[in-house]
Amino acid sequence: MAAKILANLIVMGGGILARAVVQAYRQALTNASKNGVAQEAIQNTIRRASKAMSEQEARQILGVTEETPWEEIVRKYDTLFENNAKNGSFYLQSKVHRAKECLEAVHQSKGQGPQGSSSSSTPS
Amino acid sequence: MRKFYEGGFQVTMTRREAALILGVREHTPTDKVKEAHRRVMIANHPDAGGSHYLASKINEAKDVLLGKTKGGESAF
Repeated sequence: MAAKILANLIVMGGGILARAVVQAYRQALTNASKNGVAQEAIQNTIRRASKAMSEQEARQILGVTEETPWEEIVRKYDTLFENNAKNGSFYLQSKVHRAKECLEAVHQSKGQGPQGSSSSSTPS
Repeated sequence: MRKFYEGGFQVTMTRREAALILGVREHTPTDKVKEAHRRVMIANHPDAGGSHYLASKINEAKDVLLGKTKGGESAF
């Protein structure tokens, strides 16, 4: 009589334990995938890549100063972009493009100021 | 058309970035690296409309790929 109760208890207990172990293992897997070394590396690159280019770096890449007129910036951009398209790397081309994008944004925001000259700079 | 890479250069240049700058693979042999370096440098030479910043990045990329502490290379 007692043996049957004991047997029931053991079977039920075993089942509960097995389920708990499976759940714990699954939780450990998700934890690892969230905090593993690979995840950290991915998070690092995402954090770095979300940093847009700084205006100072953009000027350095194109070789211009704060006083350089917009037309000259566009000219330098065209030269660099063409040269890198022919003999450079796509990566450098991208940087040149991003630099021009950054300086263009700065230029647009400055254009709202006292100058007010509507020079729509769309390179044909 | 491929999408342009985002953002600026990395704070510390990695082999991967160096390889991307020169347009080679990370384990390209030395002579190919030098050849690529020459080609990319000509396209970005400061005297030909390039910028000093890019030229220094290209030089740094070559150093990174060739291993800065490689002996047997003459300094001249």
